[in-house]
Amino acid sequence: MPTLTIDGKTVTVPEGATVLQACEQAGSPVPFYCYHPGLSIAGNCRICLVEVEQSPKLPIACYTPAAEGMVVHTTSDKVLKARQDVLEFLLINHPLDCPVCDQAGECWLQDYYMNYGLYNPKFDEEKVKKPKAVPIGPTVMLDAERCILCSRCVRFCDEITKTGELGIFNRGDHSEIGVAPGKELTNDYSGCTVDICPVGALTDRDFRFKCRVWYLGSTKSVCPGCSMGCNIEIHDNRERKERPHVAQGARVMRLKPRYNADVNQWWMCDAGRYGYKAIDEQRLTTVQHRNGHGHQTSTWSDALDLLASTLRRLQEARQMDRAGVILSTQLTNEDLYVAKRVAQALGIRNVAVQGPARPGRQDDFLMKADTSPNTRGAQALGLSLDAAGLFARAARGELTTLYVCGPDVIEAYGQAAADQVKNCVELFVYQGSNAGGSVQAAHLVLPAAVYAEKDGTFTNDQGRVQRIRPAFAPLGEAKPDWQIWTELAARLEVPVSFTDAAAVFADLAAREPAFKGLTYEIIGDAGALLKA
Amino acid sequence: MWTDLLIKLALAGIVLFAVLNLAGIQTWLERKQSALMQDRVGANRAVFYLPWRWAAPINWVLRKLGGVGLLHALADVIKLLTKEDFIPSSGAPFLFTLAPWISVFFALVAFAAIPFGDSLQLFGRTVDLQVAHIDPALLYVLALASLGVYGVILAGMGSGTNLSALGGLRAASQMLAYEIALGVSLIGVVVWFGTLDLQELIRQQGTYLFGWIPQWGVVVQPVGCLVFMTAALAETKRVPFDLPEGEPEIIGYFVEYSGMKFGLFFLTDFVETVLVAALTTVIFFGGWQVPYLGPHGFAFPWGGAIELSRLTVVLLGVGAFTLKVSFFIWLFMAIRWTLPRFRYDQLMALGWKGLFPISLANIGLTSLLRVLVH
Amino acid sequence: MPTQLSTELLHRLRRAHQRKPLTWWEQTYLPSIALGLWITSTHFWRNLFLHIAHRVGAFRDIPASVTIQYPEQQREMSPRLRTRHRLMQRDDGTPRCVACMLCETVCPAKCIYITPAEHPDPNIEKVAKSFDLDLGKCVYCGYCVEVCPEDAIRMDTQRHDIAATSRDGMWLDIIELLHPGSKKPSDPPQKFVQLSLDDFRRLKSSPETTD
Repeated sequence: MPTLTIDGKTVTVPEGATVLQACEQAGSPVPFYCYHPGLSIAGNCRICLVEVEQSPKLPIACYTPAAEGMVVHTTSDKVLKARQDVLEFLLINHPLDCPVCDQAGECWLQDYYMNYGLYNPKFDEEKVKKPKAVPIGPTVMLDAERCILCSRCVRFCDEITKTGELGIFNRGDHSEIGVAPGKELTNDYSGCTVDICPVGALTDRDFRFKCRVWYLGSTKSVCPGCSMGCNIEIHDNRERKERPHVAQGARVMRLKPRYNADVNQWWMCDAGRYGYKAIDEQRLTTVQHRNGHGHQTSTWSDALDLLASTLRRLQEARQMDRAGVILSTQLTNEDLYVAKRVAQALGIRNVAVQGPARPGRQDDFLMKADTSPNTRGAQALGLSLDAAGLFARAARGELTTLYVCGPDVIEAYGQAAADQVKNCVELFVYQGSNAGGSVQAAHLVLPAAVYAEKDGTFTNDQGRVQRIRPAFAPLGEAKPDWQIWTELAARLEVPVSFTDAAAVFADLAAREPAFKGLTYEIIGDAGALLKA
Repeated sequence: MWTDLLIKLALAGIVLFAVLNLAGIQTWLERKQSALMQDRVGANRAVFYLPWRWAAPINWVLRKLGGVGLLHALADVIKLLTKEDFIPSSGAPFLFTLAPWISVFFALVAFAAIPFGDSLQLFGRTVDLQVAHIDPALLYVLALASLGVYGVILAGMGSGTNLSALGGLRAASQMLAYEIALGVSLIGVVVWFGTLDLQELIRQQGTYLFGWIPQWGVVVQPVGCLVFMTAALAETKRVPFDLPEGEPEIIGYFVEYSGMKFGLFFLTDFVETVLVAALTTVIFFGGWQVPYLGPHGFAFPWGGAIELSRLTVVLLGVGAFTLKVSFFIWLFMAIRWTLPRFRYDQLMALGWKGLFPISLANIGLTSLLRVLVH
Repeated sequence: MPTQLSTELLHRLRRAHQRKPLTWWEQTYLPSIALGLWITSTHFWRNLFLHIAHRVGAFRDIPASVTIQYPEQQREMSPRLRTRHRLMQRDDGTPRCVACMLCETVCPAKCIYITPAEHPDPNIEKVAKSFDLDLGKCVYCGYCVEVCPEDAIRMDTQRHDIAATSRDGMWLDIIELLHPGSKKPSDPPQKFVQLSLDDFRRLKSSPETTD
């Protein structure tokens, strides 16, 4: 446990820590480009120079181990001058195309230049020209001129994905990042190279030119792509009212991983990163009612009245076992809980949760075969996962009312089974966020909010309960599933009523043993583990 | 009996036609005169053309008329008629609608007593060129002029908003204040000529002082004339006494009016201008009298005479009357575009402390002179 | 406590504040009214005479009014005047705009709408495939011109007679911005017209309108 003095402040850091980490701990952060806490130390950008007393030269903070009794200065004139000079060297061949560069606004070169640069450039020669706008893979665009050769992306591909597509080619000021001949940057985590690139050298082809970063709003959330539950930020077009033309009016511009030491650290897979399209595309925005040939737009009150009266008739006829509810592992704990409560109160015993239709690809890093975010939550709430059995019973004609919340039954069980169910049951209600096969089969279509539009929690496969937050209001008439259930409960005089997701979770934590003691405050940004 | 009625109707028609047209022309005059006084060009845009080939000569005329801005009055009418006829929900719709009609009605009816020519012998009848021969015609005119205040009050109150109600009260108190001075200033004339009959008044103005100075009201009553013109301008709410309108700063009684209802107030304004010009002419400037023109032609005081037929003489009189009225309309317009608006306290001070005592003194002086001269 | 003013200074101050008292004759305001009427009347009769003279072709060289007869006469405008916007073109007719969005960002009225696209030349990062400007919102601050790194937008068309019968009529699409005046008032308003580089080259304006 070495103790050292940084800018007059004494800090004790763990064994093996570097001066850079010590500086961060002491509250005098040092600029860096090539250093990344998740990668090995390269020490090639040289901007993290600090002054260490009794050291003949300025050492780089990222690679110098913190030692007992070190006296470090991070803001001495010598350091400031050195930083300025290093920055000038880094920018020698950097093109002045900030206005058209997609990184502008979140570029570390811009930030550090404004903080530590502000020099009069002395460079009078021709800048070295390098390839621009080279697609090096399906997701990443390379601009070699902008690169400062920090090698973060190279180390990422070598150390994290271990695919090694990227390398630094040529020598001297002709050095440039590139893909190995005959290769493409096609690994499952290629988007992370864009995240860690401190400059505009690697840009996301999906996000390129879609929206300037300073128009973005940011909401902390959790990726619903698989049971890993990677922490993400949803970046939406904050000014979509004033700028409706941006990305044809889409709301979500991109997803970015959010650091969570226990889940995904700094990374996320490409499948999750680009899986946000469903938030804006092919959404169900109106309540629809099928009569005769097609669907007609209806209203919430008419639709819920219809559903409630059907359920009430079954209740009065003591035939509640002829009603079935199929929920989804895509729903939040809150949605599942309210549905469970209401179903229990009505006496519906046929409640099952539908998992993903087919398993996804799994690897030993972040990707899980279970492509739904809340299977563990459904289990913890004691819900049956035998939706297939329930659906088969419906297909056999044992059910007269089927209420499907979320899963696309046609995708899961095929057109033939769905048609059979459609013919057997008297009322087939589909409540979901996106247009899909089930919509065609349903008598009543209720639009539901997607994860980016609602408050709630997912439980990942570690049993970690994590918060999702609404980035924007639901599209059209869509509502969160738990809210639809409470409105149905009100019509059936079931005493289940909540004003917001926080109230639902408070009730859930009080009644469900697995969630005992949890609150939104405890869950926070990092999540909290289930009891069991 | 029926012939009398027909004659009266014809006369009324002629007067109404003349007055309304004068009022219409005044919208043009107002625009053009103000433009010329301010080195502008003024209205010159509104024009329309007929679509047919044969209408080319008509279109030529229309282009010329539009070029001097005469068709703007037409555009005004179209605009006023097609504008939203707004009635404030807080007001009294009936009174709100009635007010502009009252205003314009009393202004027009006052013309009945104005003689615009000498009596004419036609087909063995004596026809007075005056719609109604009323003995106390002066009283009649003054009475109707003061009834105009009802239009103002009703408009202010009928609008149902505080601003128009205040504007109405302000206008009413202004009109009352100046009515006193107006009436008192005329007593001098009445005392001098000894009659309330306007036709008789004009005849008396055809006599000569010292044998050669026409005994016009302005000659024997210069102070009365000045007071009358000032008070009459104030009574009809013309600039510089147009505080009741005062759109930009103090908001007047017709702030809620739009469309043709506003148009009627607008019309009243111009009709009253004609009325004041006519009254000034009749009372102080000899009405239809032309200097040295007697019933049988000119007879100059320095000798010499021109014989003229009776009809020519009467027509000359009517022409002279029209000319004089036109001059005063021009003068009032010139005043309007020259003088700035009064402040309300200045307005009241001028009325009560200025014009009223002066006109009282004028009565005394006139009575004295009258006794001395006769 | 204010310092004592000298009696001399006080006297001078008082004199400066006091207006000359009006005489009795002046107080009637009649001379002032007469003078005012005289001045306005001289203008009236002079201009009346000149207008009539102009009608018959005389004294044409003496103007009867000081006003400019817009729109037949147009005032000479300062080249610095901020008038309607235009987009500059490269030699091949493509817009100079690189779709950097700085004008869109800086615009306080948020009246600029740009849709960027990839340029086939990798050395040109991006190009505006649509560039729309809502004149109904524009406040003519000129920030877009100031901020443009490419001199791609200017406000020097000297066009200021901007009127439309609908809000959409105030909308300028990229064609109108590149070629001011190409849109007729009768043309239906179009929003977010998207053009390819070939479209731009085909629509290239004559050399004298580019620079």
